[in-house]
Amino acid sequence: MSAPAASIKGRAFGDHLLLALVLLLSIVMIAPVLWVIGLSLKDNAELMADPNSVFHAPYTLKNYINTVGTSSVFIWVRNSIIVSGGLTLGTLILSSLAGYGFARLNFPGRDVLFVIVLFGLAVPEQAVLVARHQIFSMLKFHNTFQGLILPGLSAPFGVFLMTQYFKAIPKELDEAAMLDNASRLRIFWKVLLPLTLPAQATLGIFTFLGAWNDYFWPLISATRKDMFTLTVGMASTQTNFAQSEGIGFLMAQAVFAGAPILIVYLFFQKYIVTAVSGAAVR
Amino acid sequence: MTADIEIRNVSKQFGAMTVLDHLSLSIRAREFIVFLGPSGCGKSTLLRMIAGLEAVDSGEIAINNERIDHLPPGKRGIAMVFQSYALYPHMTVRDNMAFGLANIGVPGKVIEARINEAARILEMPHLLDRKPGQLSGGQRQRVAIGRAIVKEPKAFLFDEPLSNLDAALRTRTRIELAQLHQRLQSTMIFVTHDQVEAMTLADRIVVMNNRKIDQIGTPMEIYERPATKFVAGFVGAPAMNFVDATLNKSGENATARFADGISVQTEIASSQLTDGKYTFGIRSEDVRIVAAGQGNADGVVDVLERLGERTLIYARLGDGQQIVGSDAGNSRVAVGDRIGLAFDGQKSHLFNETGRAWHAREA
Repeated sequence: MSAPAASIKGRAFGDHLLLALVLLLSIVMIAPVLWVIGLSLKDNAELMADPNSVFHAPYTLKNYINTVGTSSVFIWVRNSIIVSGGLTLGTLILSSLAGYGFARLNFPGRDVLFVIVLFGLAVPEQAVLVARHQIFSMLKFHNTFQGLILPGLSAPFGVFLMTQYFKAIPKELDEAAMLDNASRLRIFWKVLLPLTLPAQATLGIFTFLGAWNDYFWPLISATRKDMFTLTVGMASTQTNFAQSEGIGFLMAQAVFAGAPILIVYLFFQKYIVTAVSGAAVR
Repeated sequence: MTADIEIRNVSKQFGAMTVLDHLSLSIRAREFIVFLGPSGCGKSTLLRMIAGLEAVDSGEIAINNERIDHLPPGKRGIAMVFQSYALYPHMTVRDNMAFGLANIGVPGKVIEARINEAARILEMPHLLDRKPGQLSGGQRQRVAIGRAIVKEPKAFLFDEPLSNLDAALRTRTRIELAQLHQRLQSTMIFVTHDQVEAMTLADRIVVMNNRKIDQIGTPMEIYERPATKFVAGFVGAPAMNFVDATLNKSGENATARFADGISVQTEIASSQLTDGKYTFGIRSEDVRIVAAGQGNADGVVDVLERLGERTLIYARLGDGQQIVGSDAGNSRVAVGDRIGLAFDGQKSHLFNETGRAWHAREA
C-alpha cells in the first residue's frame, strides 16, 4: 500500500472515531432533556408504579394543563425574563459607553481606572455578598427587580470586551465623521456602535445566559415567592412538591422553564457559536 | 467653492518631539498643491492640522482670510480623503455620501441631487446601493472622493489616497484626479511621498524635510533648480548624481574638480560661490554616453536598466564613485564596457556643506 493511501485510510479512521465521540457526547447531552420531556408526558401514578413506563404509551398532557392552571412557573419565567433582559440591556448600554470612553476619550486617570475595572474580574461574588446584602437591605432593594438587576450591572468583562473592540475600530472612521460635522454622541451612535454588533451579540448572549442561570444572588435577594426567578422557584418546587405534586408535574414546569432559553438559542445560535469560539473578538 | 489657505508660523510638538517648526505657506485658490517628503517629515501632520484633526500648538491657519485653527473639523468647510478611505462599513455608498450633508441639515432632495451628480462625475451610479465591503479598492477610492465632492467644500485634502492601489489603478486614478481638479476648479492639497504623483498632479510642490519646508515651486522648478541637496536627491528617478568636488573659481564660471582629477566646467557664476567644500550634482539625463576618452570622464559599465525609451547606464569612475548616465533606448552599451561620460555644464548643480544649491544662470 502506498503512503498516501495509508494516510487517507488513517484519516478516515480518525474521522470515524471523532464522529463516534461526537455522537456519544450528543447522547449524553440530549438524553436528560429527552428524559425530562418523557417524564413530563406521563401520569404521576403510572410513574410511581413503574418508572420504566416513560418508555412506552400512554402519554398525557395532563401535567402541562396542570402547570398552566396552578403553577407559579409563569411568574418565575416572567421574573427571569425581566431580570435577564434588564440586566442584558443595562450591561450592553453601560459596557458600550464605558468601552467607548476607555478606547476613545483622553481623561486624567483613564488607564488607572481601567486597571481598577479589570480588578473587578478577580473579585468573586461571594467575597462581597455580605456587604452587598446589607446595602440592599438598607436601601430596601430586596424582593425588587432593581435588587435583582443592579449587582449584575457591574460587568468588568463587558467593559473589557467592548473597550478592546472599540480600540480595534480604525480611528479614521471617527475622524471622517468629525469632518462630516458629526457630534461625539452621533459618532458613537451612528458610526461606531453599529460596528460593534458582533461584540454586542457576544456580550448580550453571555450576559443573558448567565443571568438566566444565576441562582446565588436571587436566592438571597428574592425571598418572596412572587419575586422568585426561575432557578430559585424551580429549586423550591424540587424540595417541596416533587413528592406531593408528582415528578411529571415538576418536569412539565422544567420544560416551560427551558423553552425561552431554547428560543434564544434558536435565534442567536450563529452568534453563540461565534462567541464561544471567540471569533467575534478581533 | 474654493479657498485661499494661509499657514502662518505654525509649529507642532508631540511630547518632546517637534514635528513642525515655525512653518509658513500660502496656498492660492484653485491651486493643486502637493506636500512631498519622506516618512516622518511632518507632511501628514500639517494636512491634519489644516483639517482640524490635530491641534495647532502655535501659529495660525486661515481660509479666505478667516482664522480656522480654533474651529472643529466639521466647521472648516473642507473635505478629506483618507489613505484608508475611512468609509463607514455598515452604510451603503449613498448613505456614506449623505451622512455629512444630513449632519448639517441639508434637505433630502438636495442631498439626493448632489449624490447623483457626484456619482455621475465619478461614473459610479451603479455602486450607490452597495456597501464598502462589496467594492474593489479603486471603487472605494471613488466613493471616498465622492463623499468629499458632495460636501462642496472650500478645499479638498488628500492624505496619500493612492497608496493602497495597485500600480495600474494608481496611474489611472492619478489622471482622474487631475481631470477632477480641472473640472471642479477647487483648492486641493495632496500629501504623498511619491514624487511621480507630485510631479504629475501639482501646480506647486511643497517639499518637506526634517520638520521644515525645503522648497516650494512648480514641478519643473523643483526638478531643474532644486533649492537644496535634499530636494535634488529626493525628486527624480534615478536620484541625482552627487560627486564630492573642489572648485576652481578663477574664471567667470566655476570648474568642479573631482578627487581623481576629472574636471567639469559648469555654467555657475564663480562670484556667487563662497569658499568651502562642495558637492557636484547632475541628473542622469544630463550625462551623455560617448566613446571612451571623448567625455569629461571614463567609466566601466556596472549595470544597465532598459526603460524602453531610454537606457540608464550605471558606470563606475576610476575612484570608485558611481555615476548614472542616460543613453538611447536601443543603446548598444554592455556591462563591462569602458565608456565616456559627458556632463552638461549648463545642467550641473553645486551644493555647499549646508546643502544649499547653486545652479547655472537661467538661459
